[in-house]
Amino acid sequence: MPMQRAAKFAKRALRRFWRGLREWCGVAPDEPYLRAKGRQDAGHSALSAEEFYVEQINRRYSRPNRCC
Amino acid sequence: MKSTLRFLVWLCVAIAGAGALGGIAVHRGEPLNATWFVVAAVCCYVVAYRLYSAFIAAKLLALDDSRATPAEIHDDGRDFVPTNKWVLFGHHFAAIAGPGPLVGPTLAAQFGYLPGTLWLIGGAALAGCVQDFIILFCSIRRDGKTLGQMARDEVSARGGFIAQIAVLAIMVILLAVVALVVVNALKSSPWGTFTLAMTIPIALLLGVYLRFIRPGRVLEASLFGVALVLFAVVAGQWVAESPSWAQAFTFGGVSLAFVIIAYGFAAAVLPVWLLLAPRDYLSAFIKTGAILSLAAGILFVRPHMMMPPLTRFIDGTGPVFAGKIFPFCFITIACGAISGFHSLISSGTTPKMILRESHARSIGYGAMLLESFVGVMAMVAACAMPPGVYFAINSPPSIVGATPDAAASTISSWGYHLDAQTMIQLAHSVGEQTLWNRAGGAPSLAVGMAQIFSSTIGGERLLSIWYHFAIMFEALFILTVLDAGTRVGRFMVQELGGRLWKPLGRTGWMPGILLSSAIIVGLWGYFLYQGVVDPLGGINSLWPLFGIANQLLAAVALVVATTILLKMKRLRWIWVTLVPMAWLVAVTMTASYQKIFDASPNLGFLSKANSLAAQIAAGQIPAAKIAETHRLIFNQRLDAAVTGVLALMILVLLVEALAQWYAILSGRREAVLHEAPYVATRWAEGFSGTAHGDD
Repeated sequence: MPMQRAAKFAKRALRRFWRGLREWCGVAPDEPYLRAKGRQDAGHSALSAEEFYVEQINRRYSRPNRCC
Repeated sequence: MKSTLRFLVWLCVAIAGAGALGGIAVHRGEPLNATWFVVAAVCCYVVAYRLYSAFIAAKLLALDDSRATPAEIHDDGRDFVPTNKWVLFGHHFAAIAGPGPLVGPTLAAQFGYLPGTLWLIGGAALAGCVQDFIILFCSIRRDGKTLGQMARDEVSARGGFIAQIAVLAIMVILLAVVALVVVNALKSSPWGTFTLAMTIPIALLLGVYLRFIRPGRVLEASLFGVALVLFAVVAGQWVAESPSWAQAFTFGGVSLAFVIIAYGFAAAVLPVWLLLAPRDYLSAFIKTGAILSLAAGILFVRPHMMMPPLTRFIDGTGPVFAGKIFPFCFITIACGAISGFHSLISSGTTPKMILRESHARSIGYGAMLLESFVGVMAMVAACAMPPGVYFAINSPPSIVGATPDAAASTISSWGYHLDAQTMIQLAHSVGEQTLWNRAGGAPSLAVGMAQIFSSTIGGERLLSIWYHFAIMFEALFILTVLDAGTRVGRFMVQELGGRLWKPLGRTGWMPGILLSSAIIVGLWGYFLYQGVVDPLGGINSLWPLFGIANQLLAAVALVVATTILLKMKRLRWIWVTLVPMAWLVAVTMTASYQKIFDASPNLGFLSKANSLAAQIAAGQIPAAKIAETHRLIFNQRLDAAVTGVLALMILVLLVEALAQWYAILSGRREAVLHEAPYVATRWAEGFSGTAHGDD
């Protein structure tokens, strides 16, 4: 029983780590955008994944984002 | 019972930290083990985090989790994205951790390990973390406004303008100085140059993959890219061993400077997706991996500190850079203890992504503690090598002598024994032609890291691979700052230039892009060139200039923070920001004064210019070198003028702030806070993100 609980805990921790790593890396960064877009103005067409990727990095590198 | 136990645990941690720090401070004689440094740093950090940051959070800022953050209010999936606390911690740390905490402590090791270590730990806990945390909080409460906007709103319009100019100034000097570090690291090094050159086609390949093949799949692309970069490190050895290839990748300082200037221009002009972003992804992975490996290596190897706690150079006669321990130890350490640049990140992306106000404590205060720890590790790596070797690598030939025997004899006369054969053997074992006079901090740090890594894995056999891995890591890291900074600088030039000539402000207009890129690259490129041709090695002038600019920006941030705390009626606790601010002003003003007016030509820009002019007048300079000497005189006067302008800016801002504080305290002016109105959060207690939060 404790082994099962430990395995469950480890599995959950690994899953969280994997999600966190993917999010930190910016994998599928358009998902929050699509959700927000869906909530806010459903009438306008959303950017494709490719368009969103380019738009996002253009914005990110137009302001200080790397320190000394 | 539980609280007594908790108290006892914290008491033990505090005693361990104080004991280790005391041990480092008073120990003399036998070389000290690096474990002392790790224990001192970690215990001090956890105590500072547990007590001081909690005190700031509760008493000064009164963080309120019932209040909706900008990420919740404006959630647009683009700039405002509610993000899991630990993911945002990773983003924030990746953004603030630059080459500064690696290079600064390495250079400051010329004073010995003690002053730098004490400032890294104490300065971070009491100043750097406080600045990052409070500015992050202020920006969250103001809808994610930038430092410049907050300075304009809370201090004065002039304060905002000063912040904007300070940012541009620091950017130009930063880019020049980090480019100079890369030039000194790659000079006459075909292996290092080849490895770094290969990162460009690898980044281009990644860029195409991420843009057209699998848009945004950063993880898989980066892992593939990291594998290719590691292969390039190994392949560099074959290049270095082939006479024809080695010749093709062997460059002198001036040629390398022009190559890097051309690269910076290309990075500012080319689409971000093609070169800049993929290179940044590569760098982030390698940076994280290398820093974790260094920490593990230090814990595993536990090297002994060969450098004494204090060297004879605390009197200001150091060969790495001139100037006494006060103020130049603090100016040189810069980012490892407090960095003005962090306030741009704390008032940039992070406040727009934070989920709850209470997360500002771990992200703002905690990430800076981690950065300080990186600085302590760099200090350990630099001080673990014999001091003679350290000074041989970091001293310019004009000070130690141009030939190996002369340099070895000069360094030995300082009390740090060195023979020329040791340096030849070391250069051979790390796969370099020479390690003499490689000022800038990067090569000596790479030697220190390589010795730690090779003691963990591979031994002497892999020393050269580890050395070039460390050089690649540092150079890649620096070039990421260089290309991202050049691009941001281009936008700043466009923004400022657009006020004078409208078309220049249009970010999509190609002639405007080319012109503004040429201006920003020309500005830092000039300082870089000046550093490369400087007989004192350039770092001696440029790094203190960078430190002054950086600490000036930190003082600006602390002035803004103090003004806001005053308006929040936190007069009783105002010392939390006021004391670090006063310290930074004292350090910056003293350093500026000494750099401009000191009578020693090694330290004072003007006395150096006057001494060179006197040498020309006395006919001591050969005719062929007169034009070059005139250029050096001009450069010294230019550096004096830049330092003077930076010092003047802080004085103006300080006067503005003092007038504002006096008006508020005397009741002549109402303390108006420009906070966004309170909006209650709609998220439940356990909620931790809309996208990929915890379960």
